[in-house]
Amino acid sequence: MAAWTDLVAGIDRVLLGKEHAVRLALACLLAGGHLLLEDLPGTGKTTLAEALARSFGLAFKRVSFTSDLLPADLTGINVLDPATGSFRFQPGPLFSQVLLADEINRASPRTQSALLEAMAAGRVSVDGTSHELPSPFMVIATQNSLDQVGTSPLPESQLDRFLMRLSLGFPEREAERALLSGQALDLGAMVAAGQPADLLSLRRRCRRQHCSAALIDYVLDLVAASRAPERPGAPLSPRASQGLMAAARAWSLLQERDFVTPADVQAVFAAVVEHRLDPAGRGQLSRALLEAVDAIR
Amino acid sequence: MAALTAGSVGLDPTWLLGALTLALLVLAALKLMEARDRGGRRLVALLQLLVCGLQASQLPDLLPSLVQLLAAVLALAGLLQLESGLATPWRLLLRQSLQVLAAALPMALVLFLLVPRLDPFAALPGPSARAVTGLSADLDPGTIATLVEDDSPAARVAFGDDRPPPPERRYWRVLVHERFDGRRWQRGDEEEAGPPEVGGAGSRAAAMGELESAAGRDQVWLAEPSRFTAVPWDGRSGSADPRLRVEPQGELRLLRPAIERRSYRLRPAATALAWQEQPPGPEALSLPAAANPRLLSLGRSWGGLADPAARVAAARAWFQAGEFRYDTRPGALPERDGLDMFLFEQREGFCGHYASAFSALMRAAGVPSRVVSGYLGGTWVVPVGGASFLELRQSDAHAWSEVWLPGQGWQRIDPSVWATAAAEQGPAAATARAGRPQAGSGWRWLQRQWWGLDMAWSRWWLSFDRSRQEALLEGLLGGRSWALGLVILAGMALGLIAALVPWQLRRQRPRRDRVARDLAELLHLLRPLGLEPEPGETLEAFCQRAAGIHPVLAAPLRHLAGCHTQRRFAAADPQGAAARQAADSWRRALHQLKQARRSAIRQVRECVP
Repeated sequence: MAAWTDLVAGIDRVLLGKEHAVRLALACLLAGGHLLLEDLPGTGKTTLAEALARSFGLAFKRVSFTSDLLPADLTGINVLDPATGSFRFQPGPLFSQVLLADEINRASPRTQSALLEAMAAGRVSVDGTSHELPSPFMVIATQNSLDQVGTSPLPESQLDRFLMRLSLGFPEREAERALLSGQALDLGAMVAAGQPADLLSLRRRCRRQHCSAALIDYVLDLVAASRAPERPGAPLSPRASQGLMAAARAWSLLQERDFVTPADVQAVFAAVVEHRLDPAGRGQLSRALLEAVDAIR
Repeated sequence: MAALTAGSVGLDPTWLLGALTLALLVLAALKLMEARDRGGRRLVALLQLLVCGLQASQLPDLLPSLVQLLAAVLALAGLLQLESGLATPWRLLLRQSLQVLAAALPMALVLFLLVPRLDPFAALPGPSARAVTGLSADLDPGTIATLVEDDSPAARVAFGDDRPPPPERRYWRVLVHERFDGRRWQRGDEEEAGPPEVGGAGSRAAAMGELESAAGRDQVWLAEPSRFTAVPWDGRSGSADPRLRVEPQGELRLLRPAIERRSYRLRPAATALAWQEQPPGPEALSLPAAANPRLLSLGRSWGGLADPAARVAAARAWFQAGEFRYDTRPGALPERDGLDMFLFEQREGFCGHYASAFSALMRAAGVPSRVVSGYLGGTWVVPVGGASFLELRQSDAHAWSEVWLPGQGWQRIDPSVWATAAAEQGPAAATARAGRPQAGSGWRWLQRQWWGLDMAWSRWWLSFDRSRQEALLEGLLGGRSWALGLVILAGMALGLIAALVPWQLRRQRPRRDRVARDLAELLHLLRPLGLEPEPGETLEAFCQRAAGIHPVLAAPLRHLAGCHTQRRFAAADPQGAAARQAADSWRRALHQLKQARRSAIRQVRECVP
């Protein structure tokens, strides 16, 4: 298993100047959550997803969501095998380890729902038979925030299923200069830093990261503050606080520590809670929440 | 173990119990050397506790008790460390051991107050190995050219009502010299002492009867080591202590080794004591016929007077007319007929001269007489916050005479007062000195404070003896001795509850958070520099920002932030070694920060004129 810096640097050489977003995405992967990338086209969403998958040598599939995409197109169907005369399950693109659901808001709510159910349960049911999804399994969905015509934005209840929402934004001038001058590494040339089994063991390590009572108090205070009646935005659910802890654990592991600090919580806070507080927001509510709770303890 | 060894100084090895204690101590020390495992060390700690207990029963004075307490605390700390198996910091260990001791206190108090006392073990006078200055068994003033003032302490006495006795009552008798060889006054042998007369076990009931009425004038004595088992007293008190007995000639003997410090308690007796009524033996009139012819003829010239009291008065008149001078540097008297030389030519001397000459004159005149040596006066000391006491030093040593007058018994006559005294010399000056507290040097002052504590200890703790306890139980139970067991059991149960309840309460109370306290201190230190955390800022971020504003603080702040994060959020046993290290490095970094802070404050002042 390569060092963290190598892992991040590897992805970073593909996706120039996005180190923080890359780290957050990696933390999401380590925490076992799903990632929602919301950004303009052409900012490197797909590249990030593929680089993440490649860094652990995970099986990667991509599905472009369109309005006519059906659930069965994702899950797979039972087909009649002429040789045996019986039905055989033909797995769909969901049966991969990293699924890039491109432009998820273009699909019909029915298809979106099928995807999100699969994400939550870790299995799909086709014609009454349940099929386990591979492990590790991560969905990276992208959402184009510009095209609003003919799209079905994810409802708030479904947004909650994504551990983080990230937006990459435009690169810095220098990073873009490097990109233009061809210094970016080609995805195909990227070497895997680890195996899928490494990812699983890292996830186990993540769960063992120490959370002191003082830290749990901090998270509880944050969540309680979001539930105060006078505060704008949706209150944070227990799933949100669980996700916050999981993401903070992963972040602390990326910091090469074996315990979680309030700084870890703050680092992942906006990415984890902003889309739950305010689906259209851009980090304002989460920042106000952080400022409302004393982090020195 | 070292403390215990130190505490064993003064154990009398001739005692069976003392020998046992010493043996256990040696055993524990040897075991400590070879102990490798937990069991061995536990044994050493338990042995140490046992030895502490044994010592406490033999050396109950204040200083040994303090040493025993120290040894017990150390032993308990060792045991706690062994049983918990944790690397506990020594301060916490000490605190825990003190807590254990405090928890045991109520029970100890109950046992102390209620469990019937055994009489002290039969105490025998110990070997008089140590030569201690002070009174002498032989009074031979003629050989002393100059009386050297020995300022070492002799004894201390505290009174129940905290008032010094009147000057005429400040004659503290110790030794009685009855044998006169023409030159020396010698003391009767200790072994010749008869059966206990007054104050022995037989008179306990009588002494107890007086307890209520005379409690106000109780005397608690502390006598320094001396060569004699005879101890100072006022000649008119009794005691219920079986170790104290009044000899027929009027010495009070304490049957404990004289080489250690002794404490005893006396109560005024209502009636005249037997020694005063004890008729004189032939010894009290014996006078060598060959020595001091002029003295003999002078004394015999008074022998014609019928009333012994008139003979005494004649002697007194003769002394007062003779222009005698009290002087501590009279020069040596000749070997032969020394008292003649003193009486008829030199006419200068100190108490010893006067007492021996007067007693010899009285014997020549046919009045039974003897010389008594002891202390006169003393210094009334009022320690800060302690009980006041009368301090007797060797320089307060004095000698006087006693004559037997029919119908009155033995009467004290102090011939020294008939001499004209130089300033600050003589008995008159001594009694005057006693009236007022004296300012001494710092060392003397310290010593007196300690003695004040010591006196208080003796008075309230050591003197709770069998008789006092019986009086207390009598008051408590009113003679229903069968109820004693019940009272003891109830008391022990109460003591146990008193020990356990605070313990439980303590456990329920949330622990004070050391890390939070340290953090508050850090924030407090930074506030005067205008450094306040912003809303929602973590400590790391705050410290980084502060370091940007005051670069001189950067290094300590970085350390402190890291240290705090480690202490607060890392998975560590709060009592463990890592936590201690973190606390240590926090302290070091905080020290650096305080130093850097000074220069930062200077910089701020320079920027803002």
